[in-house]
Amino acid sequence: MSSTRPNCVLHCQGVSHWFGSNRVLNNINLEITAGQIVAVVGPSGCGKSTLLRAILGTHPPKAGQILANGHPVTRPNRDVGIVYQNYSLFDFLSARDNVAFGLMLDQTTLPERLFGYFQWRKLRSQHRQQALDLLEKVQLTKAANLYPHEMSGGMRQRVAIAQALIMEPKILLLDEPFGALDEATREELQLMLLRLYEENLQAKAAGQTPPYTILIVTHELNEALYVSDRVIGLSQYHQGGANGATIVYDKQAPVFKAGDARDFEQFEAQKDELRKAVFTPSATRHHSEFVTFWNEHDKAFAS
Amino acid sequence: MLMVRKPIPKALQFSLGIASILLLVGGYTVFSHGRAVRQKEVAAQQLDNVRNLLSELLATPANELDPASLAKRQSKINDYEAQITRFEQESQTAFDRTVPTWSSLYHDGLLRVLSPQGLKKDQYWLAEDAWATFIRLISGLGVGVALSLIIGILMGAYASIESFFLPPLSFLAKIPPTAMMAIFFILVGTSFQMYVTMIAFGVLPTLAQSIYQSAKKDVPENLIFKAYTLGASSLELIWNVIYKQILPRLIDAVRLQIGPAMVMLVAAEWMVSSAGFGYRLRLFYQRTDMTVIFVYVLILGLAGLVADYLLTLLRRKLCPWFGD
Repeated sequence: MSSTRPNCVLHCQGVSHWFGSNRVLNNINLEITAGQIVAVVGPSGCGKSTLLRAILGTHPPKAGQILANGHPVTRPNRDVGIVYQNYSLFDFLSARDNVAFGLMLDQTTLPERLFGYFQWRKLRSQHRQQALDLLEKVQLTKAANLYPHEMSGGMRQRVAIAQALIMEPKILLLDEPFGALDEATREELQLMLLRLYEENLQAKAAGQTPPYTILIVTHELNEALYVSDRVIGLSQYHQGGANGATIVYDKQAPVFKAGDARDFEQFEAQKDELRKAVFTPSATRHHSEFVTFWNEHDKAFAS
Repeated sequence: MLMVRKPIPKALQFSLGIASILLLVGGYTVFSHGRAVRQKEVAAQQLDNVRNLLSELLATPANELDPASLAKRQSKINDYEAQITRFEQESQTAFDRTVPTWSSLYHDGLLRVLSPQGLKKDQYWLAEDAWATFIRLISGLGVGVALSLIIGILMGAYASIESFFLPPLSFLAKIPPTAMMAIFFILVGTSFQMYVTMIAFGVLPTLAQSIYQSAKKDVPENLIFKAYTLGASSLELIWNVIYKQILPRLIDAVRLQIGPAMVMLVAAEWMVSSAGFGYRLRLFYQRTDMTVIFVYVLILGLAGLVADYLLTLLRRKLCPWFGD
């Protein structure tokens, strides 16, 4: 295994997983550096969710190792954030408190809150202010005091993203995040991701570590190419596919700005390539054909 | 046929509700007054009979009777006259305590349980019984809810605790708690502690199971994973996530367990207590005097409604997010 490069926030080393005789993931090697927005696509049943759960730490892989921020992931922790398709907000908290919830859990303990009540109250108002600031960023100031059941799907998903972002996770996992939303809301949220990416670029220009590293799992090829700067195809259609899916596609994606026209024409060619490499059962070439070996390049584009 | 689930206007909804209550009250009124009237008729009939017997007796000449027979005749006359006085009164105000009229319920029931009774006039039945029953119920429920909450939440949180507690709980939940009474009477005695133990153990299997179900079903796996990514410890997960999420269901489960708890409590008081609703109901049942019994039954029903309402109010206050 190659040693971890600087700025690498996620490193999957030879990750394999199987359920009984059903082989799902086969020797996955993946490095994601700070500031990348990586889209993972693949045919249904190829193990995208399995990979995601392995990275999250809820279902560790049967072979191989996953390092987040240099530490092996064995259970879910504050370095890896998650946004699920079904929102998964805490019903009993308002939008603002949902966002502030992580700060409370991360920075204080239950005994501290019980026995140091007055200190906790002071800290709490800071947390709630921070939450409000972040809600403003995702354009939800007005909904700050609503409970999840009073909000629309799009609003809930924005709260969920803010809730994850406030933790400043090393890497944020988005699991089909916009799958349940209508087209207009979906576009709005895609623009939100593009704006986060712009902040990454600004930070990099200023010589800082880019703040947002995102891995987004989606079944929508347009979405994958539009919001990400790197597309990964996970598929069982390759030589040795009987042993499970592996990465058969790994290339740079065109970078859009939030203000740009949504011109999907310009990545039609790449979409065709993706379909051929990832989604066609007859395409059982060697898996490295469409994979970029980033180590062989002098500098990766996003880091 | 009327369409299923066809909505009806508010006014009709309201008046149907009132109508059912009026029907209940009216039915009882007709029934109890009917009995009272019949009883008056019976008394009038008997009055007539006795009057006839008396006049027959007075009509027979008494001149040639010996002193002994004369005395006997006089005592018979006295007896008839006493009966006449009684039946005269009864034909005016029939007195029936098996299905008392509303006025009887008020005078012989409500006023009696509210005003001082006993030789020394120092017993207030309602206050004493209500307090005895209430304190037993609250203590028993308190212990039962606390234990159920701990067991239920831990079962929902940890598979090992779930596996350990599930078989006995499922088994105990199937035993009718009143069938266990003998065991409690013998093992714990008939003191205050017995009532607490009985209620606590009576509600625990059902309550712990519903809390456990809720802790498993109402807290999706993803929410738990999410909480860990937000930096929660397992203790925080239990208190700040699982407990908060199931609180409304917990309050509802407790609300539904008050009924069964009262069944056990009144039954046990009926058998072994010397205070409380069950005790007083037994005393008056033995005298076939329903005045106090009906009043107590009404009070128990109303108290149940109030408890229900208060707990619903509490749930709305503590869990505004839950809706109605």
